[in-house]
Amino acid sequence: MDTSLFLVQLLNGVQYGLLLFLIASGLTLVFGVMGILNLAHGSMYMIGAYLAYYFTTLTDSFLLAFIISGAIALVIGIIIERCLIIHLYKRDHLDQVLLTVGLIFIFNATQSFVWGNDPLGVEVPEILSGSIGLTDIIEYPVYRLFISLLCLVVAATMYFTINKTRLGMMIRAGESDRAMVENLGVDISKLFTIVFAIGVFLASLAGIVSAPIVSLVPGMGEHVLISCFVVVVIGGLGSIKGAFIAALIVGIVDTYASVLLPQVSSMSIYLLMALILLAKPQGLFKN
Amino acid sequence: MSIFSNKSEKIFIYLFFAIGLFIPLFLEGNTFYINKFSTIIILAIFVMSLDYLVGRTGMITLGHAMFYGLGGYIFTILAPEYEAVNFWVYTFYVMLISGCIALIVGLIVLRTSGIYMIMITLALAQMTFYFFADSVEYGGQDGLFIYIKPETSIFGLSFLDLENETHFYYLCLLSLFNCFVFFKVIMNSSFGRVVDALKENPDRATALGYNIFHFRLIAYVLSSSLAAYAGYLFALQFGFVNPSMMSWDISATALVMTLLGGLGSVYGAIIGSFMYEGLHYYIEHLTEYWMFFMGALIIVLVLTLKHGMAGFLNNLSGGKR
Repeated sequence: MDTSLFLVQLLNGVQYGLLLFLIASGLTLVFGVMGILNLAHGSMYMIGAYLAYYFTTLTDSFLLAFIISGAIALVIGIIIERCLIIHLYKRDHLDQVLLTVGLIFIFNATQSFVWGNDPLGVEVPEILSGSIGLTDIIEYPVYRLFISLLCLVVAATMYFTINKTRLGMMIRAGESDRAMVENLGVDISKLFTIVFAIGVFLASLAGIVSAPIVSLVPGMGEHVLISCFVVVVIGGLGSIKGAFIAALIVGIVDTYASVLLPQVSSMSIYLLMALILLAKPQGLFKN
Repeated sequence: MSIFSNKSEKIFIYLFFAIGLFIPLFLEGNTFYINKFSTIIILAIFVMSLDYLVGRTGMITLGHAMFYGLGGYIFTILAPEYEAVNFWVYTFYVMLISGCIALIVGLIVLRTSGIYMIMITLALAQMTFYFFADSVEYGGQDGLFIYIKPETSIFGLSFLDLENETHFYYLCLLSLFNCFVFFKVIMNSSFGRVVDALKENPDRATALGYNIFHFRLIAYVLSSSLAAYAGYLFALQFGFVNPSMMSWDISATALVMTLLGGLGSVYGAIIGSFMYEGLHYYIEHLTEYWMFFMGALIIVLVLTLKHGMAGFLNNLSGGKR
């Protein structure tokens, strides 16, 4: 493999990793603050992608579709938390798993009812459709760079929100001592609703922005969910910093494995996870 | 000492196996329904193994279907392609090998617990799924076919012909019965008591000198090799194995069935599988989008049913839990 191909794969790996971070951060945030493992997180990725498809064909504008789909995702998040997740806070892990599996069933059936089972695609928006030259012969699509940039902006925003704002302070406090936060007069149920809606929004956002570069098929959510589990397990459940680093590692390993070792490529990240778990059962950055 | 924990369990088990024994006589060779019942009984064995693991040890796995699939694959890979092998010998091989695999997997996943264990079992099952789905020699997505079914002779005497649907049905029923008795005996043994104690209070059990890890590992291996046995029966019934046997939704629906039946009650697994499959069969006939209604049903069940159908029956018969 020559250097330019190496570079392109590195960019692909980083882009995939950043996208994984976007999804995994939602999962890990919801778990860290609320103690809820949302298996339907991947379904929200899928719904985001399909909504982007729907509104792009309806309005002919990806930007408009982006805004509308994002808003719908937030609303879905609030509804799910208020109607269903709210009953789970005092339940054990098994009930969380089963209820969110029920949600996966519902989302999958809805998807196949509304959009059918044939693969669908979204066009890359025109402004971002070109490529830029990395070297004389190798070009890289602008849209993929745009995704990486967007994910970095989201990561920076999250970092700022969590470390510098009042909401972030409540989130951090909620992670370390839930009962105390409640006693200090913070409306914990409102905080939970906000956090859950943000988590759902992050997953859908990843679905929306990746709609133009993947084909929309049934089951796309579960595939992403399981990659996210690997990220979260490696990074340490509940740690956003861990998720960021683990996502980049997983993205890069996955991309290079599919080029260098195609026969084991789909297993590579799971092997990586098993190895890391043997050394550190709590993940790399358990806080 | 009776192996039954309460009256409703006793009544249910007697009724179920009495009806089970005579059902083929009423179906009079209607192979569709006999096969359907065999499939659900196989599923019940799988669900029972999961029910014991999750309900009694408190370890939640979302990757149990991995062993279900492995059971089928181990047989198909080991057995010579065009030669009838002995069923009992291969039952031993399948359970032994899957037990060894479970031992290795258990050493990794049992280092963790709770949410972590859920995610890791799922990821490992998914890894095995991709291993078989991508492998050329094991047939990839299409899987492998079993051309010749095993013969079932013991010391030269053969009672069952696996090509015959009714015979196969009785083999499944017998297996389910054995599986039930096996788990009940384990639950009443000193091993089972320690496992119950571990779930109730791990710290106290450790303080009493029990090594939690060893007990959990043994329970995991036992449960996994029985799941593999169910997968082996499934492969024999349909004559093929493919990666979809290990897909995550099999593990997830099996968990739903354990909850439906009553977690940790063991006999509830039979109720859970029959109820779930019955509902599935019924709704599937009404609408193509059956998953929507099953999903809604699961959510309602989680929010309302505390101890599953087994708990419900127990309340009806006036027993205490």
